[in-house]
Amino acid sequence: MVLEIIVMVKQVPDSQEVVIDPVTMNLNRSLTRNVTNSADENALEAALRIKDKVGANVTVISMGPPQAETTMIECLARGADRAILASDRFFGGADTYPTGLTVAATISKIGKFDIIFAGEESSDSSTGHVGPGVAEFLNIDQITYASSVEYEDGYVTADRELEGGTETVRVPTPVLVTVLLNSNSPRMQTLRRKIDAVKKGMEVWDHDKIGLQPEWVGVRGSPTIVRKMRPIKERERAAKKIDIAGLGDLARELYEKKILKLEEE
Amino acid sequence: MSEFDAIVIGAGPAGASAAIRLASSKKNVLLVEKSDPPGSKNVSGGVLWGSSLSSIIPDWEKSAPVERFVDTKSVAFLTQDSKIGIDFSSKKLQQKKTGYTVLRAKLDQWLARKAKEAGAMVINGVTVEKLHMENGKVTGVEQGGDVITSDAVILCEGANPRVAIDSGLHKRLSDRDVAIGVKEVITLPEATINERFHLKSGAGFACEYVLGYLQNGVEAGGFLYTNKDSISVGIVVSMSHLRENDATHSFDIIESFTGHPYIAPLLEGGNMQEYSAHLVQEGGIGSMPKLYGNGYMIAGDSAGFSFSNGLVLQGMNYAIDSGIIAADTFIEASKGMDYSESALKLYQDRLESSYVMKDMRTFKGIENVTWSPFVHKKVPAMLESLMLNLFMEEGKPKKHMTGMLLDAMSENDMLKASSIMEAYRMMRRM
Ligand SMILES: Cc1cc2nc3c(=O)[nH]c(=O)nc-3n(C[C@H](O)[C@H](O)[C@H](O)COP(=O)(O)OP(=O)(O)OC[C@H]3O[C@@H](n4cnc5c(N)ncnc54)[C@H](O)[C@@H]3O)c2cc1C
Ligand SMILES: Cc1cc2nc3c(=O)[nH]c(=O)nc-3n(C[C@H](O)[C@H](O)[C@H](O)COP(=O)(O)OP(=O)(O)OC[C@H]3O[C@@H](n4cnc5c(N)ncnc54)[C@H](O)[C@@H]3O)c2cc1C
Repeated sequence: MVLEIIVMVKQVPDSQEVVIDPVTMNLNRSLTRNVTNSADENALEAALRIKDKVGANVTVISMGPPQAETTMIECLARGADRAILASDRFFGGADTYPTGLTVAATISKIGKFDIIFAGEESSDSSTGHVGPGVAEFLNIDQITYASSVEYEDGYVTADRELEGGTETVRVPTPVLVTVLLNSNSPRMQTLRRKIDAVKKGMEVWDHDKIGLQPEWVGVRGSPTIVRKMRPIKERERAAKKIDIAGLGDLARELYEKKILKLEEE
Repeated sequence: MSEFDAIVIGAGPAGASAAIRLASSKKNVLLVEKSDPPGSKNVSGGVLWGSSLSSIIPDWEKSAPVERFVDTKSVAFLTQDSKIGIDFSSKKLQQKKTGYTVLRAKLDQWLARKAKEAGAMVINGVTVEKLHMENGKVTGVEQGGDVITSDAVILCEGANPRVAIDSGLHKRLSDRDVAIGVKEVITLPEATINERFHLKSGAGFACEYVLGYLQNGVEAGGFLYTNKDSISVGIVVSMSHLRENDATHSFDIIESFTGHPYIAPLLEGGNMQEYSAHLVQEGGIGSMPKLYGNGYMIAGDSAGFSFSNGLVLQGMNYAIDSGIIAADTFIEASKGMDYSESALKLYQDRLESSYVMKDMRTFKGIENVTWSPFVHKKVPAMLESLMLNLFMEEGKPKKHMTGMLLDAMSENDMLKASSIMEAYRMMRRM
């Protein structure tokens, strides 16, 4: 029987280009480019390496708006076999609880799974809740912060990077694994694979198809209440140009202004 | 059987337009773009002149992400301390809109979406590496070790056509053929822009500058275009001048331009949102490649279709029209299923009878005008001394205008027979 692997991915605004509208305090999404959350690319790569070794059926799932299609196509182009986007206006405004619930329900709806991969955290909200949340909803074991993942005969062996060192664990499937950012280098997408991915396309599932009540999900299903948000004021940079000859003067000036300190002080 | 009827390399204005036309005629077309999303690496100070898009997107003026229509078009010479310019504002430009400022990041994405809606397969984020050749005929493209086949390939790679060069379809670029464009997009509130440039809502200002104050014989032009709530500002500097002057850097030139006493106040208080550099095609008809061959056609900047005379910089309009003409040629050729060199010669014929090639021939040698010490040094200095003479009231007897003009010209060495001949030759080229 072929191994069933599920990879959870999230589309996020490119962290290099995030622009916050100073008036509404919302992310200006029209100006930002959407990309696949980096750690999720590592999660997918971990799944694809197992597929390369022992053979597997890799399904990527995401909860998000229709424009997450580009992320889904990208995952197919890297080597996933199937892409399902849970998308429905009822899912909008979800905090981590209904996000986990929706992803877990989508996985249950798919049916059989052996390993579920997630990223350690997203680059935009960075809670790291969703992976562990899904494991709890599905009532399965979890391995968090994994830097390497192997599969053999019904067991996943993974290294976990902890503050004091590395812990190696061996857990029977089904299991959920969250993968560390930059723990591997994701494979390139090729034109051939991208063409095939576009031809294959993704599936879109709504709350009805997944079997969720509208009041369980999205903003209505979210226990978090955001009271207030404020931007962090960026410090103005002086952006001064100096030539090498002026370095000495600059060092003196900075020292006098107590910006620069000498070693022995 | 080929996998696609046609493959288009590059989703700039040329490639996207070709793909839209092909897909609208039910051709199975693949449009490949290396940046993701399309346009994210493209720089254009961005005035889209004319209405080339109307033949592929009839309602384009309503639906395209244009910023402002050009209501005031200016040209100006800058010296260290002065600006001497001509402003053209006209009710006629309001009634019949001839140019729109655009931001390429938005325009290119929109064009790619139109191509997709028309039925093209659009793939971003992949760079085509090579053309695939069989028996001296282009039959597809190669990437990542795979071959994707098609009946013909339309190359629309822009000003740095690596694939065409590597396949021997285009000679290597020489410094004479290209200039470097550096652009900043500076955000400012819409109301501030309207106030600073005396614009009604929706109306825009576009200006090209000659930077007459640069040292060491470096020649560069500047431009400033208003978008809805940002300003595109930048410079174009000739590659050979940059190379000859190790001490000169394009970023110093743009800094001196945006810091000029008559430019800086226009940008004051704005935030830089984008900074980018790009090649500008400059070589003119002399550096044009052969535009077609067995199984391929070249369009847009890659084909050398761009025009600049110091008063205006155009390329997107030629890109769009040459892309459409290439697509039409393909559609014609598909009737006889013949994509050989002799069948695709139709592309050259159609270009010749369109304004694209006509302009290229009319303005043959224009690059010698736009890049000359005469325009970049003598004219600005002469104009400045003429204006100073005109307006400096020093309690001395005045001369007639012509006398002052002659003085200013002789001060700047412009009355020599050689200079007069040079000016005459230039005027004819413009
Ligand atoms: C205080 C607070 C308030 C918020 N308020 C809002 C709000 O009002 N409106 C709003 O839209 N958002 C809001 N969010 C964001 C929203 O809660 C999260 O974006 C979302 O729940 C996912 O959590 P995360 O980004 O922290 O993911 P993490 O838990 O950091 O992600 C870990 C991994 O889980 C997987 N994963 C995460 N999200 C998805 C997904 N959607 N589909 C598939 N897999 C996924 C990925 O593998 C990812 O690497 C808020 C967040 C916080 C912390
Ligand atoms: C600073 C500056 C200011 C300008 N101002 C104006 C102006 O005001 N008005 C005007 O009309 N014109 C202007 N131009 C010129 C104009 O930008 C070009 O003439 C026009 O963009 C040409 O269109 P194109 O489609 O031929 O090429 P491009 O717009 O350059 O598009 C080529 C596309 O091909 C892609 N590509 C290249 N190689 C590959 C590959 N191997 N695989 C996949 N994709 C590839 C590139 O990523 C790019 O998106 C300006 C240019 C510059 C640099």
